[in-house]
Amino acid sequence: MVEKGSNKIQSIIRACRIILRMVEVDPNARESQKKYYRMLLQYFTRLRDAQENGQFIAAHTVFFPSEIILAMDLVPMHTETTTWMISLFTGECSDILAAGVREGMATEICAPHRGMTGAFANGSIPKPDVMLWSNMVCDNTAKSGELVMDICDCPGYFLDRPFKNSDLEKAYFADEVRDMIAFLETQSGKKMDYNRLSEIAETTNRQINLTREINELRKNVPSPFSPLGFLELLTIDYLFPGQPESVDYLETLKKELTQAVAEKKGAVPNERFRLMTLFIPPMYLMAFLDRLSRESGAVSVIEPFFTFWGEGNLDPSKPVEAVAEKSYMIPEARMYGPLGNTALETMKQCVLDWKVDGAVFYADVGCRHSCATIKLFKDTLADVDVPMLTIDCDVVDQTVTTEEEVTEKMERFFELLEDR
Amino acid sequence: MNNLQQQNAPSSLEVFHVVNQTFPETAEIREWRNKGNKVYGWLCTYVPEEIIHAAGILPIRITGYDRETELVDSDAYLYTNNCSFSRSCLQMGLAGEYKFLDGVVGGSTCDGARRLFDLWRQYIGTPFYHVLTVPRKYTDSALRLYLAEVEQFKAHLEEHLGVSITDEALTASIELYNQTRSLLKELYNLRKLPQPSITGAQVMEVTDACFRMPKERFNVHLSALLEELKESTVTYSGRARLMLSGSVLANPDFIGAIEEQGGLVVADELCTSTRYWGDMVDNSGKEPPLAALARRYLNNYPCARMFPSEERFSRIVQTAKDHHVDGVISEIIRYCVPYAHDLPLLTDRLKEADIPVLSIDLEYGSSGSGQIATRVQAFLEMIEAKKNG
Repeated sequence: MVEKGSNKIQSIIRACRIILRMVEVDPNARESQKKYYRMLLQYFTRLRDAQENGQFIAAHTVFFPSEIILAMDLVPMHTETTTWMISLFTGECSDILAAGVREGMATEICAPHRGMTGAFANGSIPKPDVMLWSNMVCDNTAKSGELVMDICDCPGYFLDRPFKNSDLEKAYFADEVRDMIAFLETQSGKKMDYNRLSEIAETTNRQINLTREINELRKNVPSPFSPLGFLELLTIDYLFPGQPESVDYLETLKKELTQAVAEKKGAVPNERFRLMTLFIPPMYLMAFLDRLSRESGAVSVIEPFFTFWGEGNLDPSKPVEAVAEKSYMIPEARMYGPLGNTALETMKQCVLDWKVDGAVFYADVGCRHSCATIKLFKDTLADVDVPMLTIDCDVVDQTVTTEEEVTEKMERFFELLEDR
Repeated sequence: MNNLQQQNAPSSLEVFHVVNQTFPETAEIREWRNKGNKVYGWLCTYVPEEIIHAAGILPIRITGYDRETELVDSDAYLYTNNCSFSRSCLQMGLAGEYKFLDGVVGGSTCDGARRLFDLWRQYIGTPFYHVLTVPRKYTDSALRLYLAEVEQFKAHLEEHLGVSITDEALTASIELYNQTRSLLKELYNLRKLPQPSITGAQVMEVTDACFRMPKERFNVHLSALLEELKESTVTYSGRARLMLSGSVLANPDFIGAIEEQGGLVVADELCTSTRYWGDMVDNSGKEPPLAALARRYLNNYPCARMFPSEERFSRIVQTAKDHHVDGVISEIIRYCVPYAHDLPLLTDRLKEADIPVLSIDLEYGSSGSGQIATRVQAFLEMIEAKKNG
């Protein structure tokens, strides 16, 4: 018998409110930052209310095309982001990780998925009406759905995203999306609003282009965007894809960064190190990393696998194909499919275009597909004379690394960069 | 080989044992190459070997070291959170032990395999390289996609070699490989008997050799072994009849260690055995050979990567029943995530069928000594207690 867990969604909402109040009275806070926290508050409040009001909740894994859920006016629950936010806002995941292990999840399974399973099992996050998942981007996402269906006693749909990007594979994936829409219509009793989906595709184009424009502004020296601000860009796409709130946030941010560039004002007081960030820093160390970056004059200026979108735009006149196509354009798609020269050359080009001094690779011990690239990326970056620091960590599990370890590694790395 | 297997082991087994002793570049492979022929390595059971064979190439399976060993180089390239199977394969590649390969073919089957390919291409290099997209579903559209991938693979191979792979050649290769499957099935049927004439460890010597020599020769030797086993008066029994299920496994010593404890391994669900030879290719001519190959490979006894998992679970339960199994040992290589995810649900399914499960985490190449032996011993005691009411 799994012990009932505390309501983690309520904890996130409470923490969001406190941070929002602090940000709103902080004279140095960005307006976009306020909007970002309002969006987070909105997302999780909607989820909590949906649970209380019996609305249809569709849980989905990372990179699942949640545009479909939004176009059908269902309530999405991004499972990995929810686990990250539990770690970020409550600083505590041990209870849900332990609950995951009690459900039979091996400790080698990445903590966000282990935690997610545990959180469903001990009732600390709402049980969904459907579980939706895909194989984008790793085996953990591919395999996470069926146990959740069993625990939550709900139906589910697995969306099979082919490995490569031939026309046939893209057509197969679009058919998968169509099939999933039919599944959702049956389960929810709601019909897909294709006009709404077209609008979302249109708005997604605006969102992607704004992100590209923001990245252009980050090329400036000093960089105008906060050291770990890229996580905001990542999160809004995960939680609000193709939504007006995203565009509003990005337009505000772009305006702020444009002004900062005009005033030659950097995000950190004395920019010394321009960094490329590879993969996700530990959520529970975020405040500490932000402080360390500001004190050291370090700022992340580009993230090839998180914020650097692929070329092209979506075709809103074919909304299902557009949603499918987005899966091939997202920055993380470079890590899926054969990791060929294109991805490696993109990294090198990013180094040149964003004047990168060094790279930081957050090696999540539970993430096999990313950690297997450490050596390859280190060698690739060495070709353009950029050193790479690897920090062993876990995105949510606090037992893997400490502030002291990270500080020591970061400080040594900054000394190395300084010497160069 | 441990004592249990050495005593009265069938003499026809020796040829397979010799092949495995000379792995990776076995005498059979050297002989093939000395005639000026090419050898391609494949990784994962979703690669249709017949196409490689029909091009006049010897397909062999890439596996890692059959023993516990240091993986210093591959740990640096693949990081220790990748499964030790992919690290062991990479280690052998980096050490030049697969330098005789003229090509490498794989499928997009799991994280470990796809990253192994990425690094193989970057750091080892082989004249020919191909990765097939393998859908994770059994639907008609998945089959169409996989067939297109198989066609593309054939075209790539033809272009690279400057040859044409005819339907006649494919049909002949399918025939040969079906014969292998049929013979292996016959071998496994012998294990359903109350007192089989072959142990689990001995069977693994056979299946390992199957990947490391031409099928033409393998079939001859396996036929001889089957004849010998049918005539044999030697039989084996144990404290319990066991089935192995889970990750890739190629070390007969691991099974030997279980059998030393008194368990008799009579069935398995491994990609180096049942999941390899499980289903036949329909060679009746109802559909073109490539279509028949695609249908068989996608719908074969499934890997944990496939959806829905129930297809795998129900086959495992059926295999366990067919072989009158008392218990299942789930062996999962650390960081083999697809199997780790399946384990809780599979355990429930087996318990529903009143089949107890022992779950063991291990590293690829493990010989099953120490802690594993202790756990197997306790599992056997539990099964005996259950049997005795």
